[in-house]
Amino acid sequence: MGKPLEVLQGTLDMLILKAASLGPLHGYGILLRIQQISNGRLEILQGSLYPALYRLEHQGWITSEWGESENKRKAKYYRLTAAGKRQLQAEKEKWSLMSEVIDGILSAVPEEAR
Amino acid sequence: MTPSMMRAKVRSWLRSLFRRTRMEESMDAELQFHIESYAQDLMRGGLSSEEALRRARVEFGGIEMQKEECRESLGLRLWDETRGDITYAWRVLRKSPVFTVVAVTSLALGIGANTAIFTLAKEVLFRNMAVPHADRLRMFWWARGPNTKAGPAWGSFSRGRPGEMAGTPFPYALYQQMRAHNPVFDDLVAFKDLYKLTVTADGQAEPVDGMLVSGNFYQVLAPRVIAGRGINPTDDTADAPGVVVISDAFWARRFGRSADVLGRTIQLNRVPVTIVGVNAPEFRGAKAGGAPEVFFPIHLQPQVIPNPRGPLMSANSFWWLIVEGRLKPGVTDAAAEAAMQVAFNSAFHATIPDKTEKDRPRFFLAPGSRGLDVQTDDFKLPIYVLLAVAGVVLLIACANLANLLVARAAARRREISLRLAIGAGAWRVIRQVLTEAMLLALLGGGLGLLLGYWGRNLIPRLFEDSWSPRSIEPQMDWTVFFFAVAATVLTGILCGVAPAWRSTRGDVNAGLKESGQMSTGRSKATLGKFLVVFQVSLSLLLVVGAGLFLRTLINLRTMSYGLNPERILLFALDPPKSQYSTEQRAALFQRISERVDALPGVQSGTLSGEALLANNMDDNCYEPIPKPAGLPVQEHVFVNTIGPRFFETFAIPIIAGRSVNAHDTQNAPLVAVINQRMAKEIFPGANPVGRTLTECGAAAGTPRIEIVGVSADAKYSSIRQDVPATLYLPYLQSHDEDAGAMTFELKTAASMGSIVAEVRRAVRSIDKDLPLLDVRSQTQQIDATLTQERVFATLTTTFGILALILASIGIYGIMAYTVSQRTNEIGIRMALGARAGQVLSMVLRETSLLAFTGVVAGIVAAFGLTRLVASMLYGLKPNDPLTYGAAALLLLGVALTAGFMPARGAARIDPMQALRHE
Repeated sequence: MGKPLEVLQGTLDMLILKAASLGPLHGYGILLRIQQISNGRLEILQGSLYPALYRLEHQGWITSEWGESENKRKAKYYRLTAAGKRQLQAEKEKWSLMSEVIDGILSAVPEEAR
Repeated sequence: MTPSMMRAKVRSWLRSLFRRTRMEESMDAELQFHIESYAQDLMRGGLSSEEALRRARVEFGGIEMQKEECRESLGLRLWDETRGDITYAWRVLRKSPVFTVVAVTSLALGIGANTAIFTLAKEVLFRNMAVPHADRLRMFWWARGPNTKAGPAWGSFSRGRPGEMAGTPFPYALYQQMRAHNPVFDDLVAFKDLYKLTVTADGQAEPVDGMLVSGNFYQVLAPRVIAGRGINPTDDTADAPGVVVISDAFWARRFGRSADVLGRTIQLNRVPVTIVGVNAPEFRGAKAGGAPEVFFPIHLQPQVIPNPRGPLMSANSFWWLIVEGRLKPGVTDAAAEAAMQVAFNSAFHATIPDKTEKDRPRFFLAPGSRGLDVQTDDFKLPIYVLLAVAGVVLLIACANLANLLVARAAARRREISLRLAIGAGAWRVIRQVLTEAMLLALLGGGLGLLLGYWGRNLIPRLFEDSWSPRSIEPQMDWTVFFFAVAATVLTGILCGVAPAWRSTRGDVNAGLKESGQMSTGRSKATLGKFLVVFQVSLSLLLVVGAGLFLRTLINLRTMSYGLNPERILLFALDPPKSQYSTEQRAALFQRISERVDALPGVQSGTLSGEALLANNMDDNCYEPIPKPAGLPVQEHVFVNTIGPRFFETFAIPIIAGRSVNAHDTQNAPLVAVINQRMAKEIFPGANPVGRTLTECGAAAGTPRIEIVGVSADAKYSSIRQDVPATLYLPYLQSHDEDAGAMTFELKTAASMGSIVAEVRRAVRSIDKDLPLLDVRSQTQQIDATLTQERVFATLTTTFGILALILASIGIYGIMAYTVSQRTNEIGIRMALGARAGQVLSMVLRETSLLAFTGVVAGIVAAFGLTRLVASMLYGLKPNDPLTYGAAALLLLGVALTAGFMPARGAARIDPMQALRHE
């Protein structure tokens, strides 16, 4: 396993929404969850996490609540809202469409070679 | 952006704004939790607790920067920066209190003037009747040509198409017929505005305006009633008991808003009626600018205002009732007019069968949201002129402030260059300068709104006669508030945009390198100089306007009217026709006249059908009998009915023959006095005394009127009008049954105050219920007709002085600034041998060049604009050279005075100090 990948520009919001859709998580938890699911192959810069969380909450896609963490400390938990669910669905569709198109382009072969 | 997201954003923004502390604490705690959790995980990997925490912090990165980015995510950055700008601007303003006071005061005066005049304009030009859906109301009008003989009309008229007279009154039967055949209106209402009824409540009589209304008036128009009920259709029937709805003002004045007013009886012209309701204060009848206080059914007309024609409801060819209706929703004006034209035409022939198609007026509809509106056209031009004048004052204040701000921005050039150099965006710097201008504008606007609130009552006061009830009561409301806010914001932008633009322009390097004293300062103040020129030209425009209106007022006040108005007391009497027949009225006038003329202190007394110089007149057509060959056979002349000693009282000379005297009674031969103008027109070159005339078209055998005297020309109805051909008839020989109030004129020896009480007592001893109407002196009467001229002279002079003050501040500011920027240069000049006088004249030359350019530009603007007010001037042309010359000299003088102090300062510069000053 080499050096972890950096998050592709513009996909951080989608990843955060996905992580939050799996159940309420605090900011640090979201970071760990994404790393865990990706088997540590994806690294999120800590500095970009919170501005993104605040932006998503500002747009009404996630909502936050103070609760108690695993080790009995107060932590702020984020949860997906209904609008967030719709947004996640839209971004997922856009992503698969986009990766399909890009795959197609990348797998093209020279005309004459056919 | 979807609406739900918009809502989420606004909610989130407001939450973080109003719970800022909580938001900040929560953000701190959250980031802290993150770092500590990470540190714990690192400790599990075997690091010591200090080392783990240190690594966690390092990897997390700059906390403050992340917090800033989080705040930006919440949309708080603009807010935070603006708050910073405001704090900074506030500190700067507090550091220069003189500047701030001058700026805020000038803006407050500008915005206040605009607010006050806008309030007035809204009231006079745009206030709708206080009823639901006023926009769907339409007023019924007709227009008739000179040969259309549809019957006599009572009401207000205006000009229609060329050659036509347009009017609003309709006969009752015609109204009813149209009402029955109306497919496009909810319903039609009829009303009539009545001037000065004698209303008696609790034994006290008072002249009060009233309104006759059809029985459906309150149901169809639906004005708000705050106590009791409106007039009902059942009230407007022949046998119904008399009822009245009173205005809120009358309720407050006469009954102290007592709750038991309903059911009480008051008298309208001696006819007892029962109060059934009270109007809401905002409803002021169906005539724009009017303030009727008693509303009662049309069926009361025969008792309350009897007419020799009998009940006017059955006078089918007498045009007197105003008709209005509310369009059904969705009906277009064209369709409504077409439908009502058909209804009108058939109703006309059905109700006035003896008239032919040739006699039928042309019917049309006009907007009726303001009710019967005959004043708006007269007020339009003056109000627009006032709005323009106030706008110019605000522009001057803006230019002044912009100028001061530009000078300050230039002084802060190094600071701003530094900020730009270390990476502040240009937009950021512009915002900062704009914030300062906006803060000044807001302070000025707040103060201006207060001034406007106070001035809203002041300006209408200027328009009023001292003896009439207030008719204009402008109300402050949201529109006024929004107007003031819009004016303020616009002011802020106008004031701030020039300095803001100026501050970011130019080379940053040069700005940093330049020393405080720029040796090339002269070229740098171009924008400021342009603003001063602009200010001077606008000021000249205002001063010219003030001069024109002032001279108009002086011309009107000092010209000869052909009569002596000094020390003449006027009052009117209008004995109710329900009580006095025409003959009895004449006898009453005669008795009262004899009584008051004999009062001590009265030198000479008389009476007339129309008060002089009160914008009222009667006219009629007369023809000489026998007809002189080759001369105009008949002529429309102004007519006044007068009592004995009329000419003596007003000191109008009798040129030939005699004046009307006490022997010219009902039983004596008919006589008349004509003025010189009429003599010249009807009997040119001949002596008119002894000639006779009659009314045009009088039946053969009608007694002729003998001309017994010729008087000198004297003004009649209006000061502005040339003396018209005038015929004076003894009032005792006049048989006009429609005649209204009679005005008594008493020439007094001394003070009028004491006489009024005597006159009141004398009249009361003859009829204790007869109130004295419109008590005033002849000079007050003249002043009242000059109200508009006086208001204009007062306001434009005030604004002109204000403009001069602002202009001198502007000139002083720009010259002081230029001199301070050139201290160095002037020092060198003086070191090289320039004398103080030369420096002084150099600076003054620059000042006068600015002023002269502004004056020339202002004269050009004034030439173009004053033509628009030509109709408001008297005795001079809008391009009156004397006024222009005086205004130009005044401005140049003010400019040189304002520029003198900086010039003297420059002349006193000590070369040694100036050179070391670097």
